[in-house]
Amino acid sequence: MYRDANTSLFKFWLGELKPKGKILTPFNVIAALTILAAVVILFFRFSKGLGTVVHPDQDRPWGLWINFNVITGVAFAGGAYVLTFMVYILGLEKYRTIVRAAVLYSLLAYMFYAFALLLDLGRPWKVINPIIGNSFGISSVLFLVAWHFILYMGSLLIEFLPTATEWATLKRYRRFFGGMTLAVVIFGIALSTLHQSGVGALFLMAEPKIHPLWYSEFIPILFFISSIFAGLSLVIILESIGRGVFKKEQSSSHRKAHGSVMMSLARVCAISMFVYLFMCMLVFIHGKDYTSFGEGWGAWYLVEILGFVLLPCMLFLYGYKQANLTVIRIAAIMSVVGIILNRMNISTIAYNWFDHSLHWPSWMELVVSVAVIFVQLLVFRWIVRRMPVYRESPAWVSSDGKLKKSLHTTNKWRNKKWKASA
Amino acid sequence: MGNNRRNFLKTIGVVGGSLTFGKSFAAGTKKSENKKEFYAILYDSTRCFGCQSCEVACAVAYNFPAPEDYPDPAVVRKTNTSQRVVVNAIETENGEQYMRSSCNHCSSPACASACLTKAMHKTEEGPVIWREDKCMGCRSCMIACPYNVPKFEYDSPNPKIQKCRMCYEKLVEGSTPECVSACPAEAMIFGKRRDLIDLARERIYSDPDSYHHEIYGEHEVGGTGLLYLTALPPGDLGLRTDLGTVPFPEHNKTFLYSVPAVLVLWPAFLLGLRNASDEVKNNLKKS
Amino acid sequence: MEGFSIVDIYETKGAEYLFVIGYLLILIIFWRLMRNPGKTLRQIKDAVSILSAKILKIPQGIYFNKNHTWAHLGESGAARVGVDDFLQHIIGDLQFSGLKEVGDSIKQGEILAEIQQNGKHLKVYSPISGQVLETNTLLTDNPEVINEDPYQKGWLYQIKPSHWRKETGSFLLGEEASVWSEKELTRFKDFLSMGAMQKYSADPAMVTLQDGGEIRDHVMSELPEEVWMEFQQEFLNE
Repeated sequence: MYRDANTSLFKFWLGELKPKGKILTPFNVIAALTILAAVVILFFRFSKGLGTVVHPDQDRPWGLWINFNVITGVAFAGGAYVLTFMVYILGLEKYRTIVRAAVLYSLLAYMFYAFALLLDLGRPWKVINPIIGNSFGISSVLFLVAWHFILYMGSLLIEFLPTATEWATLKRYRRFFGGMTLAVVIFGIALSTLHQSGVGALFLMAEPKIHPLWYSEFIPILFFISSIFAGLSLVIILESIGRGVFKKEQSSSHRKAHGSVMMSLARVCAISMFVYLFMCMLVFIHGKDYTSFGEGWGAWYLVEILGFVLLPCMLFLYGYKQANLTVIRIAAIMSVVGIILNRMNISTIAYNWFDHSLHWPSWMELVVSVAVIFVQLLVFRWIVRRMPVYRESPAWVSSDGKLKKSLHTTNKWRNKKWKASA
Repeated sequence: MGNNRRNFLKTIGVVGGSLTFGKSFAAGTKKSENKKEFYAILYDSTRCFGCQSCEVACAVAYNFPAPEDYPDPAVVRKTNTSQRVVVNAIETENGEQYMRSSCNHCSSPACASACLTKAMHKTEEGPVIWREDKCMGCRSCMIACPYNVPKFEYDSPNPKIQKCRMCYEKLVEGSTPECVSACPAEAMIFGKRRDLIDLARERIYSDPDSYHHEIYGEHEVGGTGLLYLTALPPGDLGLRTDLGTVPFPEHNKTFLYSVPAVLVLWPAFLLGLRNASDEVKNNLKKS
Repeated sequence: MEGFSIVDIYETKGAEYLFVIGYLLILIIFWRLMRNPGKTLRQIKDAVSILSAKILKIPQGIYFNKNHTWAHLGESGAARVGVDDFLQHIIGDLQFSGLKEVGDSIKQGEILAEIQQNGKHLKVYSPISGQVLETNTLLTDNPEVINEDPYQKGWLYQIKPSHWRKETGSFLLGEEASVWSEKELTRFKDFLSMGAMQKYSADPAMVTLQDGGEIRDHVMSELPEEVWMEFQQEFLNE
């Protein structure tokens, strides 16, 4: 499980490469086929142009990869900043058992969604330009979002390195990165606030194109608030699935705490959804466009807000009061659907809404989109089966995450000093 | 103490001196008074009769195939990856009217503001140009442009963004854009934006019955480089009138202004919270 | 926008402020709703009798072994042994099996009897060594006697003890037994909320006990075999 001090890092890593668990499960087979298909499709995309894979539409430049994988996916990766806030800033120890999994999920989410973004770029090789300072388009929201993604991935990586260094038994690195946790968490929360809202701000200039029920100058704030319960709902779903899939890897304290952690998460979701609903109403009053409820768009908007935000909010409340885990899980799934609807409405469905035709993505676009998610899940599983994400940390780390005192005496540098003076 | 007072008086003296005399010192180095003014194109729709000479000239200049379709009231023609300017015919109460459609070269362009690599660039001379060496094909400009002008080459592995560039290379050498010189009816005039607005107003005053009393593009989205004179209200001829007069980049103002503020305030606030929660924990441990 | 007709950009501010006041009031209500979990849990507690330390009977003069069995030396020199009130309260309806016969000798730590309920079972170990003089036939026909009166009518065996003083030296008596009994109840609550309930409970209303909620009577009857096995390990084996 953990590297034995006598094994070299390289040999350890080689050994860990062996698959753990059955290879031919239904999930693995479907994932492998989808990924294979996606690779073929991407070959065409890069050799013949984007239009061979997606429906070329000059009025709808952004397709599923940006609108779904990046913009919707980012909302779901919000679990990391909320949970690190609760554990490292507010000191709520009860969430400590799930914070590592949330950080890992977010890290992979951002990495793979940045990858999906690269796929959607017309000329991905030029993505270096806004990064190395060749041309900083500082007035662009996308510039900000891109930079925040990079910085935030770095933060998440550092937040995750303690887990990785525990696995590889690199004590000094574990201590080094563990010491950076607070700084990186704080930076990460500030960054998250900005890029969660930033992803919404991308659409601020598209005012004439987005239906007035979804467009407002407050889109960034609404995106930020909804990312709170989006991320936590996904954590609830991940934990519920992981309870069965990762049974072997979960420590007993993790499993014991499951019920009460789910309850508390449900409570936070309910409150943030409540606040979000009132913000939506406030924004609507502010915009005072009551006529925009025509032509079925009003009904669709109500489906999203009432059916998939208000209803799950009530279900979370009910599940919390009745201590019913099943109700909470259903509420989490509904809330996830609501977020997908909201993001897809703003970016795709209610975008260019006055053009009355429906625009479906091509099947190839869908396959690649799903394949990216599969790869992310496979990597997640690979890491969880090996690193102490759900497991207890090794013996040389104490339960509050700090290293045990005995480590100080093994500090080579200090020992060297002793030798010199003796 | 005495030393401090002396330093204080010195500072006051320097600051006061530079405030009173500074302006005259700096004036010699100021370049902003010689700022270039935008060029623009004035398009008089009452003179246009849909001959498509402008379309052909543009296609020739940029190596595109000659246009195969023609202005037709039944069809709304749009620019595309091989046509940077198109003319549309609109059936109205005054008979068939014509309207040119291309990039409007806004004074404060949404596309240039949205571009994260500065590939979309508002030049000092006025035209908004797309710079190939910087573009990464993210298509944010297409999302931002209220007129849906930039067109993306979906069928190319090295896709470009296509749109009118007001023949920028010719412009800096002192000549006029191709479409303007090609027009047989002199429906387009090229000049400084300031002069063209004056000229447009003159035309309206001297012939008030022939024109709708508005220069489209004077204030729309903060002012555009394509100015339109029309016989009927611009909305009747297919020009968008619901875009407002606020430049589109200002839609992002509140958000972008708050970014540094959040990066300053959040860490301080979070550190404070962490401190407080640590204290509470320590108190609990003690008791 | 062009300055030709009236425009008030702060037109909706009045409505917004009123809305915010309404929102703050509703927020107070919502927050109060959200603060405490499970009103249902509280209702269950009130409706059903609660197992608390005060209910557990600790009669004087009875020696308690930490594996929840008791022994009482009668005037005749014969000792009665049985299972304690705690066990019967948490299990509820039970049957005894594997009872010893008259004349059997039994050692401290050997199986005293087995408790059965719906196919689940627990082994109870003897507190003292000696020879079985009598078995309580009342129990085989009327096992509910043990729920009513575990220390008097619900005795299991009369035993002639062989090493009474030595073996009962470490047993608990009177006040000590009361204190221990309360601790055992707390330990049992922890055992449930930390482990058993979360993993195995079919009834979701039992899941959260972390705020010091009380346990329902006969709670073990609703828990599956796995929990019984864990309980055996934790509470009955020494």
